[in-house]
Amino acid sequence: MGYQLLEVELSRPLEPVRLAPDQGGCGIIARWQGRLAGFQMIQLPLGATLSSAQLRDLADREFAAKVLELRLEAALPEPQPPAERPSLSIAICTRNRAARLGRLLHSLQVADPDPSFRSVEVVVVDNGSSDDTRGTVASFADARYVHEPRAGLNFGRNAALRTATGDLLAYLDDDVVVDRKWLGGLARAWRSRPDAGGFTGLALPYRLSTEAQVLFEQRGGFGRGFSRIEFRSESYANPLFPVGAGSVGAGCNMAFDRQLLLDLGGFDEALDTGAPLPGGGDLDIFYRVLRSGRPMIYEPDYAVYHEHREGMAELKRQYWSWGLGLMAFLAKSGRTDRALAQRHRAMVRWWFADQLRSLLRALRRGDLTAASFGLAELRGGLMGVWGEYDRSQARVAAIRASAA
Amino acid sequence: MSETAAIRHLDLRRKEPPVPSAELVYDVFWWGDLPIGAKASARGELPLGVGQLRALAADLLARQLAGREPALGAPLVAGSEGQPHRALSLQSAATMDHLEERLEELTSLPPCDASDIALIICTRDRPRALERCLASLPRQVSEPGQFIVVDNSASGSARALCANYGGIDYVHEPAPGLSRARNAGIRAARRPVLAFTDDDVEPHPAWLSEVSRAFRQHDVECVTGLVLPATLGTKAQRNFQFALGAFGNSFVPLLFDERFFAETRPHGAHVWRIGAGANMAFRRSAFDRAGLFDERLGAGASGCSEDSEFWYRLLALGGSCLYEPRAVVLHHHRSEWQELKSQVRVYMRGHVSALVAQHDAFGDRGNLRRIGLQLPKYFVRTGLGSLLHGRWTRLSLMTAEIRGWLAGLTYLARPGWRRRRGEWQKL
Repeated sequence: MGYQLLEVELSRPLEPVRLAPDQGGCGIIARWQGRLAGFQMIQLPLGATLSSAQLRDLADREFAAKVLELRLEAALPEPQPPAERPSLSIAICTRNRAARLGRLLHSLQVADPDPSFRSVEVVVVDNGSSDDTRGTVASFADARYVHEPRAGLNFGRNAALRTATGDLLAYLDDDVVVDRKWLGGLARAWRSRPDAGGFTGLALPYRLSTEAQVLFEQRGGFGRGFSRIEFRSESYANPLFPVGAGSVGAGCNMAFDRQLLLDLGGFDEALDTGAPLPGGGDLDIFYRVLRSGRPMIYEPDYAVYHEHREGMAELKRQYWSWGLGLMAFLAKSGRTDRALAQRHRAMVRWWFADQLRSLLRALRRGDLTAASFGLAELRGGLMGVWGEYDRSQARVAAIRASAA
Repeated sequence: MSETAAIRHLDLRRKEPPVPSAELVYDVFWWGDLPIGAKASARGELPLGVGQLRALAADLLARQLAGREPALGAPLVAGSEGQPHRALSLQSAATMDHLEERLEELTSLPPCDASDIALIICTRDRPRALERCLASLPRQVSEPGQFIVVDNSASGSARALCANYGGIDYVHEPAPGLSRARNAGIRAARRPVLAFTDDDVEPHPAWLSEVSRAFRQHDVECVTGLVLPATLGTKAQRNFQFALGAFGNSFVPLLFDERFFAETRPHGAHVWRIGAGANMAFRRSAFDRAGLFDERLGAGASGCSEDSEFWYRLLALGGSCLYEPRAVVLHHHRSEWQELKSQVRVYMRGHVSALVAQHDAFGDRGNLRRIGLQLPKYFVRTGLGSLLHGRWTRLSLMTAEIRGWLAGLTYLARPGWRRRRGEWQKL
């Protein structure tokens, strides 16, 4: 059972929403004069209609304050950006997902251009596909094809880093499409803090057609909210920060000062390796950018739509990979960044306690699905604690050796 | 916990001032003369940067408009734990015109005459604090019509200091207890509005002007205001501000009326969210109607909460209170750790004693529910959370709270102390 996903422009009259017979609710993406203002999910009886009065009630509760804020923000003077406009490279790392890649490239093609960038190039890194990825790229005039035979997402990201030319380098996963104001959102983030080391953005659901997709979104999804956030090397409100920099954003939609990435030595190829250790790479790079002293900006207008896992087994595996990726990252940076070792240890303690607590809560509610997700995440976490990063390093070394 | 802390008062219409060389900076954000928010930053988070300040300004100003524009549903009515009930609608948020002009109207208001106000400060053997407080008062943009200092010391130790300042009605109340001292101040007051603050406070220059404005604009019997920290130089002061939440930190006006009272009454009525004794003012009619401060409660007696118990009575008898954060005072929190621990213990004891008094006066079982269920739940939750996060100082403060709670329980078993239904101190 899925949900209907729809967009509502709050400056226009609100229309009732009719669900299809197999839809048990809707996910509402709200905009105010084009700018993203909120996302809400409502459960409804199968095939029901959400009346405009109900929708208005929801908008009063969830979106009205944001509308007022957006209107006030528009009235405040915008900071003056540097005279020199940056060039932008967009990197997409993909493997055997030609159809989804085509969808993403199309969304980039039709997205609103933005004058803040001097030039924009698209680089597609084919991470060893056996399907028609090359042909798909060829059908888009502006996209450049790069081949990276060594399997692993961070091998692909580093290949993009070597070949890209832009001052800024924006990474997109192949399971997203960009919002039409994606470029403008990134430009807005850059203008607000041109010296930032990196930028992250909102990841909304692309569709909510299956139970797993609805569940993922209900459990928080990738949501980081609809307010700009500035991340620095520490946080008074969160004494563990920047350890656990997951709050900064998600790897499916992130951009960096390319020179900074080069200075930092690129992505850690032993993280985000694909199947064996499919995670931790984004946490690691956010952490290293922040530790270098450069801020990171989260900007909701810099938005993508992410195709969530369709089936429950895949979703469970995703939670497993989150636990695994986080703990592998913590194992690594606890070792490489001794100055914050205490925070790393505290983060490990806190995470396991927190996971156990939500697991117990799920069991008490009798919510076996949530419990199984929690268990999967815990299992991943344990694997990460018990040497997965070292095993991954050994595997990556072997891949490098055989490619050389 | 950081070594040094600084406080900046930052007008978001101007450039960010230089960053002080402190480990922790507490920023109070203003829009002209309107206080709109606060944020604590670690050294590495500063300077805040223009983009961040712009986003912050938009967020905080939207809250101000929603909380202050009658067309958007202001003033907001407080609900559980003093959280405001939403009044904003999409329609009003989307269609209200001239947002900038309306914001402008909220700032740069002309001073409001305060000659209707009798200012009452109670003190007890704290000459240094009292002197600092008295020295700050000539900066008030609107002078009070009467200025009373109630000296609660046995020996009358503040008499000479008050004589130095001139224009002070000095009242000596040797019987110890803050409630007694305040009641002596009420009896000596000759103005229709009575404003109270404490000797460990320095009022903001616009304080009395804003108190006076709030009473002119709203038909309420009590006005409370924002209490900001004057310094955060010690671990005790920072813990009081951040771990314990100090005296509340809402920057949006809130109305505490019969709806608030009815909603929170089953849980003892969350009257402590109304404000703080360091920044409160009443129409004289409040005391005519609801009596005086309960002399069994407050500093020098059971500990504290004589202010919130009075608000309870006021609300139970149909009155209402407005929290108006434009009325600002700066409070010097206890600077020594042991002082803070004993203050926390005494506050909790006073809180429990006030719940007992409220139960006895009105028969509301919600007060007992708070003593017997909600406070223990709060101890368990805070205790586990502190253990989990390794917040040992918070845990140490909580042991003081638990000791205060246990001491407070003894009031339940003091037949001579307890009173019958409807029995309280009349004017």
